[in-house]
Amino acid sequence: MKIKVRCSCGEGKCPEWAVVELQGVVETQPAFQNRLHNLQIGVLCRPSSQETYTFTVGYHELTGTKVPLKKPMLVLKKIKPASYEGDNGDGENGSGSAGVEMEVIGIIRHKILFKTRPKALISGPPQPVAKGKLSTPTSL
Amino acid sequence: MEVETELENMKDREGGAELVLNLQPSSSISIGYHSSFGPHDDLILLELDEKLLPDFLHERVTLRGQPNEDAVLCTTSKTYAVKFVGNSNSVFLIPPLDLFPSCGSTQEYEETSSKDLKVASIIKVAPGNMELVEVAPKLDKLKLLLSQNPYNFGDSSEMEGIEGDDRTDANLYRWEDLVDRIQASDMELRSGLNAIFAVEINGYWRTLDENYKDGILNMLLHNSVLNDWSLNSLYEDEVVAVLVADGYPSEIARHCLRMFGSKVNEGVGPSCWRLDERCVCLHFARRILGAGKMKLEAFMDEWVNKVPSGMHATFDMLEGEILSEKQGIETWIHAFSVSSLPSTPAERFSLLFHKKPKWEWKDLHPYVRDLKVPGLSSDALLLKYTRRTQPTLDAEPIFTAR
Repeated sequence: MKIKVRCSCGEGKCPEWAVVELQGVVETQPAFQNRLHNLQIGVLCRPSSQETYTFTVGYHELTGTKVPLKKPMLVLKKIKPASYEGDNGDGENGSGSAGVEMEVIGIIRHKILFKTRPKALISGPPQPVAKGKLSTPTSL
Repeated sequence: MEVETELENMKDREGGAELVLNLQPSSSISIGYHSSFGPHDDLILLELDEKLLPDFLHERVTLRGQPNEDAVLCTTSKTYAVKFVGNSNSVFLIPPLDLFPSCGSTQEYEETSSKDLKVASIIKVAPGNMELVEVAPKLDKLKLLLSQNPYNFGDSSEMEGIEGDDRTDANLYRWEDLVDRIQASDMELRSGLNAIFAVEINGYWRTLDENYKDGILNMLLHNSVLNDWSLNSLYEDEVVAVLVADGYPSEIARHCLRMFGSKVNEGVGPSCWRLDERCVCLHFARRILGAGKMKLEAFMDEWVNKVPSGMHATFDMLEGEILSEKQGIETWIHAFSVSSLPSTPAERFSLLFHKKPKWEWKDLHPYVRDLKVPGLSSDALLLKYTRRTQPTLDAEPIFTAR
């Protein structure tokens, strides 16, 4: 089977996506568990002209930097032909994969990487309703 | 509350990747979940070398594989395995605004976010990404597919009448069918077809049945005697015309020249071919050994007899084609052709050591020199799959299984 990888971006015009990467996971308070959509996670701030950033999640602050990726990363989207829209099984390996195509919809060249432990803020930011809880990996 | 203006405000506050990437010094933005945040399994990240980017931008890339195979990615000339690399970090993906416009209720923002900040929204948390590793094309299956229904005398006579028998269409493959089934780039597939001397006949890629191949070669040699042609300068038009008169289709006649010879004059004047001594001699050696193992002397006698006059069969032509064993004072040989062996190193070495536990370098070399693994030298291959022993400094090294 042959799956075409399409790209409508044209030379050098792939829309660039942004990535914010942090260690561990962001947990949502139970009250908001089922209504993540449009929920704020935190505030990203660039305090100076350097590529240093802070990310404030609930009562915690992370410090990180914007780093160029060693190799670019493409964002691909799997496109099912209209007639297979209905089957939502494991389409990739299923028999309904005929006519599937991939499309390049973006490229990632940088990420803002937060690899430090979060620092607790002594007095929290005003009214963080979606107080994010940051848990760090157990290895830390 | 003036709901209208708040909604207007909301529109103004939306931003996408641009907002994050171009964040100005001494400014802040809010990061939130997109209104259509979710697993989005149809979005895949693929890490790749900068040099492969143009292939993607110009749509020269395909994914290939049957449902039961691991997919490979092919450019026009190379094949790559696609591997998933997990990431335990949280990787938040923020698309450009126009790609995923926010929709639905803006209520939550109003409740939860810092009102004066612009918002960039996360569409998905990526569990990892795919990466590409260059691999050798998987061409063994090609040989297998085309050997199911080789071109033979039946096919040849059928071509005269339009009335074809449906039966013969079974296990025949067009270019597109092969691309569907073989995990190799277009260029690798073409050279794979060349390597097994496949020919496109009536839209199908075929190899020739051994008896059929023997028939047409003998017919060519026979005609060269009759017409007093030199085997070093065979004019294509003349040869093809005579073979067609003898009942062979013209594309097969042309193919016969390609299989057993090489063009002498590239591009100038009428095409002229020279038969390749080794190719022709090997063909007869294979025919003779097709019956089973033989005493070396008996074989050589028969072989020298069989090859056309003007050609000289020499033992070194049989490198990578036969194995010999001593039984007392006699040497016996049998056919063992490198072209019949698998092309993946692990399978190749396992088969070789199954055939014979100990190999001297001069015997082993013809059976491994064609192995190619991207990023691995032939020495590294030997190191990986064999154990080398050398009893004394001036002794021949012996290779055994690892």
